[in-house]
Amino acid sequence: MKFFEILGKIDRKIIFIILAVVVIIPLIKPFGLISKASSRAQSVFDAVDAIPAGKPLMISIDFDPASMPELYPMLTAILRHAFAKDVKVVVLGLWLTGMGLGEQALATVSQEYNKEYGKDYVFLGWKSGILPVVLGMGEDIKKAYPADNYGTPLESIPMMQSIKNYRDIPFFISLSAGSAGYETWIAYAQSRYGLKIGAGVTAVSAADAYPYLQTGQLTGLLGGMKGASEYEFLVKQKGYTNQFSPASQAMDAQSLGHLLILILIVLGNIGYFFTRHSSRKEQQ
Amino acid sequence: MQRTIPLALCLGFGIFMIIQFFIPHPVSNAAYDIVLKWIRLITIFALVLGVGSLSMHHTTKIRRKITGWQYSIVTIIGVIVTAVIGLVGGVGRGSGLQVIFQNIFIPVNATMFSILAFYMASAAYRAFRARTKEATILLIAAFIVMLGMVPIGSAISKRLPELAEWILTVPNTAAKRGIIFGLALGSIATSLKIILGIERGWLGGGRQ
Repeated sequence: MKFFEILGKIDRKIIFIILAVVVIIPLIKPFGLISKASSRAQSVFDAVDAIPAGKPLMISIDFDPASMPELYPMLTAILRHAFAKDVKVVVLGLWLTGMGLGEQALATVSQEYNKEYGKDYVFLGWKSGILPVVLGMGEDIKKAYPADNYGTPLESIPMMQSIKNYRDIPFFISLSAGSAGYETWIAYAQSRYGLKIGAGVTAVSAADAYPYLQTGQLTGLLGGMKGASEYEFLVKQKGYTNQFSPASQAMDAQSLGHLLILILIVLGNIGYFFTRHSSRKEQQ
Repeated sequence: MQRTIPLALCLGFGIFMIIQFFIPHPVSNAAYDIVLKWIRLITIFALVLGVGSLSMHHTTKIRRKITGWQYSIVTIIGVIVTAVIGLVGGVGRGSGLQVIFQNIFIPVNATMFSILAFYMASAAYRAFRARTKEATILLIAAFIVMLGMVPIGSAISKRLPELAEWILTVPNTAAKRGIIFGLALGSIATSLKIILGIERGWLGGGRQ
């Protein structure tokens, strides 16, 4: 009976060590488990793919470094897709702490495709006051953002000459780790101005987005690291990039992590049932 | 008077914004544009309020030597240093603010969140027991979704991802939709109460 008691009371330090090993090994030596694209990821991909060359895709960075492992690979994969298709990109964000990540992603990916700031992409950055910014861009982006992240007036940026408001944005993606995020864009930019929206969210909040998918308010959804790896898979499959795919590699670690947690839950329950059974017997 | 004017402003602007939403006339849109500008100006004051309240909270903690007061020193130094570097050096590429962000904020923030995985694994092991029927159903659903949403799930069984997808699209969506409707109705009711002056908590404490 002692064995079952031990099963139900494994020390947390042991759990921490096993989890660390299980996560680190596949990161060093991946197994290559393939994450095929779901219909939700395919919808986001198709919507970006359908943007004609020269037209803009707008991306909102509504996350911070805490969600970077899940959402940053989505951002880089989407940027690669857009740049490979010669789609213009407008990046902004509702989270101030995510702006450095946007800057980093744009700097890295634009170099891979020789894209020029102001001509092929623009970084609007963050503005205080979420609702007036989201609503204001529906009327005139230049009024909500008179200047870009670096203080350059939008009037003087060539790419922004043909973009007035949401009517000029064929597709919009919110990479969102919470509030303010895709729900803000749906509530204000879509309901009022009809903006077509796709979202990338953390795995823990993916379940919240399903009702919006079913109503068609979200065109598609990338959920967690799996969603990121699916998008990377699609971008690579179409030959738009041959760059390293961090989310696809991390999926092995996540798979094993999930499996370990499930095994631990099973062990915990076995220990719980047998010890409960024996204690009942003793009472009788 | 102190309360009547804010209540009257709230009533006026609340009704105006509701009516304006349904009238896409140029005059109505121009008025809406002006209101948006005012909102932007007002939200800037939140920054002043935020910095003021943060400073007051932490200086009080340091003065009274409340447990963990040393961390308050780090917070205040962090706020001052980051603000000064940002104001002097700007926010562009290669600026001091970017260096701080890339080399301090990203690693620290990511580390904090990564540690959660360890606590979650330990907590799931300890708390996830099939003690009742409801807990057992929850446990089975969690099992299917956790395995079905990672590639190893489809390697175990092709049916697992389909089953996980069904759980997410049918029972989960039904429950979430109910919650969303409830929240929306609650928000509308609360908004109406604020606009009509029934709910006055936003005016601050004290006499009604």
